[in-house]
Amino acid sequence: MAGQSPSLSYVGCNFLRQRLVLATLSGRPVKIRQIRAKEEDPGLRDFEASFIRLIDKVTNGSRIEINQTGTTLYYQPGLLYGGSLEHDCSPNRSIGYYLESLLCLAPFVKHPLRIILRGVTNDQVDPSVDVLKATALPLLKKFGIDGESLELKITRRGMPPKGGGEVVFSCPVRKTLQPIQFTDPGKIKRIRGTAFSVRVSPQMVNRIVDSARSILNKFIPDIYIYTDHMKGTSSGKSPGFGLSLVAETINGTFLSAELASNPQGQGAAVLPEELGQNCAKLLLEEIYRGGCVDSTNQSLVLLLMTLGQQDVSKVLLGPLSPYTIEFLRHLRSFFQIMFKIETKSSDEERKGHFKVVPKLRTLLKQMKATHT
Amino acid sequence: MEEKDRKKHRKKYSGPKADKKKKRHLNDLGLGDEEDARKRNPKAFAVQSFVRMARTFHRTQDLKTKKHHIPVVDRTPLEPPPVIVVVVGPPKVGKSTLIKCLIKNFTRQKLVEIRGPVTIVSGKKRRLTIIECGCDINTMIDLAKVADLVLMLIDASFGFEMETFEFLNICQVHGFPKIMGILTHLDTFKNNKQLKKTKKRLKHRFWTEVYPGAKLFYLSGMVHGEYQKQEVHNLGRFIAVMKFRPLTWQTTHPYVLMDRVEDLTNPEDIRVNPKCDRKVSLYGYLRGAHLKNKTQIHMPGVGDFTVSDVSFLPDPCALPEQQKKRSLNEKEKLIYAPLSGVGGVVYDKDAVYIDLGGSHAHQDEEEEVRPNHELVQSLISTHSTIDAKMASSKVSLFMDSNPLGSEDLESHGFVMPKEEKQLDLKSGRIRRKAVFEEKENSDGESDEEDDQDEEMSEDEMAGSDSDEEGDAEEGSDKELPEQEADPRNVKRLKREETKEETVMELPAFADSDDDLEMSSVEEGETGLDESNKETDEEDEQESDEKESSDCDSESADKKLGEPTPCETSKESKELRGNHKQGLNLDKKVFSTVDSGNCTAEEVSESESESSSLDEDAEEDEEAEELHRKRVQSTQEVSTLRQAKLKAVEDDENLLKEEEEYEEKTDFSADTAGAVRWKENLSQKAAHAFLRQQQSTPNLRKLVYGTVAEKEEDDKDDGEEELGGLFHVSRPDKESKLKANGLDCSKFAVEVPQDWDLEEVMSSIRDCFVTGKWEADKDAAKLLEEDEELYGDFEDLETGVVHKGRPAVEEDEAVSEEEEKEEKEPKAEEEEEKKKRLDKKRKLKEMFDAEYDGGDATYFDDLKGEMQRQAQLNRAEFEDQDDDARVQYEGFRPGMYVRIEIENVPCEFVLNFDPQYPIILGGLGNSEGNVGYVQLRLKKHRWYKKILKTRDPLILSLGWRRFQTIPMYYVEDHNGRHRLLKYTPQHMHCGATFWGPITPQGTGFLAVQSVSGATPDFRIAATGVVLDLDKSITVVKKLKLTGFPFKIYKNTSFIKGMFNSQLEVAKFEGAAIRTVSGIRGQIKKALRTPEGAFRATFEDKLLMSDIVFLRTWYPVSIPAFYNPVTSLLKPAGEKDTWTGMKTTGQLRRERGLRIKQNKDSLYKPIVREKKHFNKLHIPKALQKALPFKNKPKNYEKKAKLSKDQWRPAVIREPHEKKISALLSALGTVHNYKVKKAKLKHREQLKEYLKVKRKEEEEKFKRQKEAKKKLYRIIGQKEKKRQKSSLKGSAGGEK
Repeated sequence: MAGQSPSLSYVGCNFLRQRLVLATLSGRPVKIRQIRAKEEDPGLRDFEASFIRLIDKVTNGSRIEINQTGTTLYYQPGLLYGGSLEHDCSPNRSIGYYLESLLCLAPFVKHPLRIILRGVTNDQVDPSVDVLKATALPLLKKFGIDGESLELKITRRGMPPKGGGEVVFSCPVRKTLQPIQFTDPGKIKRIRGTAFSVRVSPQMVNRIVDSARSILNKFIPDIYIYTDHMKGTSSGKSPGFGLSLVAETINGTFLSAELASNPQGQGAAVLPEELGQNCAKLLLEEIYRGGCVDSTNQSLVLLLMTLGQQDVSKVLLGPLSPYTIEFLRHLRSFFQIMFKIETKSSDEERKGHFKVVPKLRTLLKQMKATHT
Repeated sequence: MEEKDRKKHRKKYSGPKADKKKKRHLNDLGLGDEEDARKRNPKAFAVQSFVRMARTFHRTQDLKTKKHHIPVVDRTPLEPPPVIVVVVGPPKVGKSTLIKCLIKNFTRQKLVEIRGPVTIVSGKKRRLTIIECGCDINTMIDLAKVADLVLMLIDASFGFEMETFEFLNICQVHGFPKIMGILTHLDTFKNNKQLKKTKKRLKHRFWTEVYPGAKLFYLSGMVHGEYQKQEVHNLGRFIAVMKFRPLTWQTTHPYVLMDRVEDLTNPEDIRVNPKCDRKVSLYGYLRGAHLKNKTQIHMPGVGDFTVSDVSFLPDPCALPEQQKKRSLNEKEKLIYAPLSGVGGVVYDKDAVYIDLGGSHAHQDEEEEVRPNHELVQSLISTHSTIDAKMASSKVSLFMDSNPLGSEDLESHGFVMPKEEKQLDLKSGRIRRKAVFEEKENSDGESDEEDDQDEEMSEDEMAGSDSDEEGDAEEGSDKELPEQEADPRNVKRLKREETKEETVMELPAFADSDDDLEMSSVEEGETGLDESNKETDEEDEQESDEKESSDCDSESADKKLGEPTPCETSKESKELRGNHKQGLNLDKKVFSTVDSGNCTAEEVSESESESSSLDEDAEEDEEAEELHRKRVQSTQEVSTLRQAKLKAVEDDENLLKEEEEYEEKTDFSADTAGAVRWKENLSQKAAHAFLRQQQSTPNLRKLVYGTVAEKEEDDKDDGEEELGGLFHVSRPDKESKLKANGLDCSKFAVEVPQDWDLEEVMSSIRDCFVTGKWEADKDAAKLLEEDEELYGDFEDLETGVVHKGRPAVEEDEAVSEEEEKEEKEPKAEEEEEKKKRLDKKRKLKEMFDAEYDGGDATYFDDLKGEMQRQAQLNRAEFEDQDDDARVQYEGFRPGMYVRIEIENVPCEFVLNFDPQYPIILGGLGNSEGNVGYVQLRLKKHRWYKKILKTRDPLILSLGWRRFQTIPMYYVEDHNGRHRLLKYTPQHMHCGATFWGPITPQGTGFLAVQSVSGATPDFRIAATGVVLDLDKSITVVKKLKLTGFPFKIYKNTSFIKGMFNSQLEVAKFEGAAIRTVSGIRGQIKKALRTPEGAFRATFEDKLLMSDIVFLRTWYPVSIPAFYNPVTSLLKPAGEKDTWTGMKTTGQLRRERGLRIKQNKDSLYKPIVREKKHFNKLHIPKALQKALPFKNKPKNYEKKAKLSKDQWRPAVIREPHEKKISALLSALGTVHNYKVKKAKLKHREQLKEYLKVKRKEEEEKFKRQKEAKKKLYRIIGQKEKKRQKSSLKGSAGGEK
């Protein structure tokens, strides 16, 4: 009696981050079996091991057991501790992989988190640090997690495969989160973006900007894409370039899209013009999907709603990503929280995109968060 | 009464009437409009002193702000749960009497015996749950945590007792509920003055404890063993209007005060092992926060559990429906107290119990009248009739068969209730459960059904033979023709057809024979799906199906469990008659349905334990679990889907497609032979996903519905073994691939649209500010509207007059005209009206903003915000029915819930005592975990002892009461937590213990023991949780000592402090000190001896010095956490729980003395005499010394040689005499000489005296003579001088 709450069991390494993060927040132990059990090299990969180490750093008193082959992981969460930390991320995945989880944990730690992450800042798989900075931080602000110390700074950029980037993330702690009623995305008033290049010709950046503007200018004139060419030590160890775009609406919704060049030595070389255009189109796609939160941050907003006070929060989302769907399921199994999902009917002719893409209104009620 | 009529008229001095009269009077005097003194005499109200004015203003503001509480979101449900009124006080103070009086006051019923909580309806909007609190400290602690209102009874003839203060202290710690004091035994005072004095004294003492001005009630005396009616009535009115401030702990945790408990354990298990863990269901009103299913709860006095099932029941003590009259009528004055045996009808999930007041009720006519009355009353008062309730309740016959509603039975005419006697373990009452024998279909039919029935699950099949047996028995019992059940059959058949259709769509599935067995569960499931889709009417049945499958086995068990004790008497006592008669005759249980099922199982179980049921027990469990999940999920899905079907017929096709797809994915894996399903699986999935997205899919299903299925698939894989040896290997399914897929949150675009196309581009053009705006947001339109509002204005500076657009005015004019034209319901007019209303609203808003804007404070804003949120919370789920609501928000407070809990210790059931409250407290996230908790603790000033570190202590923290071993510490100035051996007397200190994690800021109290009654104050300490940690920071001082073994100047070599070089290395650079205060530092380890080191000091050491190193050693906190399980103790001993004893207690009990350290004992100090050696001066030195300082060489006289040694002379007596005489003579002579000497000395003295005198005189004389002489000489000299002067002068002259 009064021991640990019953542990949850899962199969496979997918959604590992969600599970560990939610386990930490809910205090329930979790067991993950058959991690790549049938593959040639079974078990946890480097980046996952690094992630587990990060979780261990952020918490105090966690128990992590991994079997010999690394195919089974048992995690009994400790208390979220926070503090000033440093972590070397695996270059297999970008910092975004780690940062996404930290964004979930940071508001609930005991001592304000300030962490230096080293590794790959931008890659093609995970949301980059630029995008998270532009979209996730304003989202945290909506929940009342605000203040000077909420900061995400890119001190060095690092591209795959070698990385060498560095990011400083700090987040204040709040006792309670405000409930949000975020159902009107509003109209897009401006588009901002960052085009960056490291260890390649600085000309690349300008080419990217021009091509992206050529597409976006058809919609709105207020576009500004910053060019960020890093030199010397702050340019990491591998060459590359990329673009991230953020559309901001009058109601403070941020929709983002990004693209990065292929890592050195993998795949064909990418033309900067092409990259710029494709990225712009991705942004349009994101706008087309709509919602008050862009697709990468859906799970974050849902989590913050879950852990907020016992009040109704509403948010309008675009189509749910598979990751979010799984996240919702996990929220149910960890917190016994079910969202009321309403599909917003196609609106009038004016908003073309609403007609095609369904909107979800996700409602949450009755969540109590006791963060200890 | 007559006197009352004759009462003299009293003139009114206040109130509206009086005001009116006064006004009239003033008017008559001609000062009517000047009644306002401020107006009449403004000078009197002018500012006299600015300073004082400022001060008064300040003061009023202070008072105003003091009244503010931090606004909280109002989360009270629309229909709040009954207010818990705890009646507390020492024994014999009149608690029970007061409760009885209150109940009588509110309900006009008299309860003879009160056990457990009693719920009554006290008003139109309020219910009360009254519970008595004895003076067992466990009960006091538990009830203080749930109380809304405390009635604190105080025996005025005695004064305050310790219990009162203890309870007040408990309340203070766990959030302060409203407390109302009640003084009783006031009739014992004969002297009125004495009474007054006592009242005043007690009141003021009470005020210091609670708050100044706290309400204290006086119950002056008893009339026929009851309190005076008027006084109780007044008290009741006070209670009825009382307001409560929400307490933090209560509002953030769900909790239930149990008013009913049932044991659901399988009687067979109990028979086999009477001490087996039990499964119980507990009933009560949910309070506090929302309760979710499967959450962790704590039962104070029992332990932690996980809720295995929650369901809500119709309110047994419902508030009257909205009526406009002022008071309740008799029918609405309900009372519900199942533990006390009141309340009449009890509705369970699938049975109805009627309580008719004990087995002897029929014998005593007199007694029968009242219960009967009560029963009828409660029957009348329930808003839905018993028939309606029965109609809505359903039971399934078989594990997974469709449940039967009363509509199925209607045609049966009347049915005979069978009664089953059930001994209520606690009360000794015999409850008889009336079970309606269900008229079953004939065996053949049921078998047929079994064959057809796709819903039949695996386990069902296994147990079907037993069912058949049961059916056979049923067959003998049945009295009604088979045709009765026909409509149902037809319905079923119809469904069967549809099912077959759908099956036809899946030829691959139908082909595979071997799969039919394995996936029969899934089959059944899909069958369910289909059937749901087809028929609306089966919706209800479906829901019950879920229920039944949920607790099939349990319900069956329960059914079994209840009747068994009296099974034999069952048949004989069978009562026949319609149930209305039955009501009067006895108490009964109407189990509308399940009877068939349960009897069947009963028989099978009693007949053969080796039946297939047992064999398949394990399988069944697993399968059942799977099934349950599946059914649940599909049920959710299906209900939604039905709704959709009704609404949109077009979607049907789409849904069907979905369905197909679902099935395909479901079975693709199972049908090993059907290769084609595997083809392009992921692609199909992707397509399906896209399609779902584009066609407004049912997202709820997508998100929550498919979870269960996937889990099942995983489990299926595990189960499929051939002969327990070989594993059926299957190609990886999509889900499997997904399980190890890439963990990425990005939502990749699979098929991007061609953004170069104009039409695609135009689809999002309006998303930008440059696009079109909605009517209500378009800037141009808004401007226009504003112009309407502000149309006419004159710029005062320039003098330009701006006019609103005339067109609008015209419009208005027109509209006005139209108004005049009288109402012709035209569309235009409506529009106009709307417009006007809009405009009005806008104007009003503007006015409000202008008017209130300046006034609004931060506090008001905050309050407004909270209000809005509360409204939103209320509105969000209002329109949904409870079933759906419960899924989203959990069970909301105010609901009457039934909570099932498994693995409860058997003592809970065996030793159940309704006098002790049972509370279920919900735990938040991670509150079920244990860890180290840090507290700020202060020993209670009234507790006589101080607390010792490492002595077990019982804490009440959160919901829990537990024993643990705290370690006390104090925080040093540098933040170090230094261990204390004892708590300080009058100071806060820290404490750390190992125990349940509880949020920071939660208050706690500590007692040393919960058993027995001590005359002293029992609360040992109080405090608050400061911090939670998984590591410990408490340290204690450790001094390592060493001794110098070699001393150079300031460097010494020290040994004995460490044991190895490594240890020394760890302490290199550490500061050390000697006892005499010489400071130093550890430098480096020496090779030999082991553990020695070199150290430097600020001065030279002595070999006798002791060197010590002061270190801090982390203390380990014993991981001892022992919940107080007082409720598990046998009845009557519940207040005797003792946990771990302190060492002191144990020593005292066993008469063990502490083995004292001898060194610590005090002994008389014995000081040895100091012995000094002779001074030794070296020879060389001696030589150099002058003779004076040379040690004189007194050589020791050598021993006398023999010849020199003379023996002693022994005198003869004569000689002795001579020598004695001689010595006597000598003495005399000596004396004479001495005397003569003295005399001579005396004479000499005398002589010297005389001599001195003479001398003095002589000296005097000489002096005199000298004086004379000198005078003469002087005179002579003068003369000579004179003469010489003269002479010289004469000579000169």
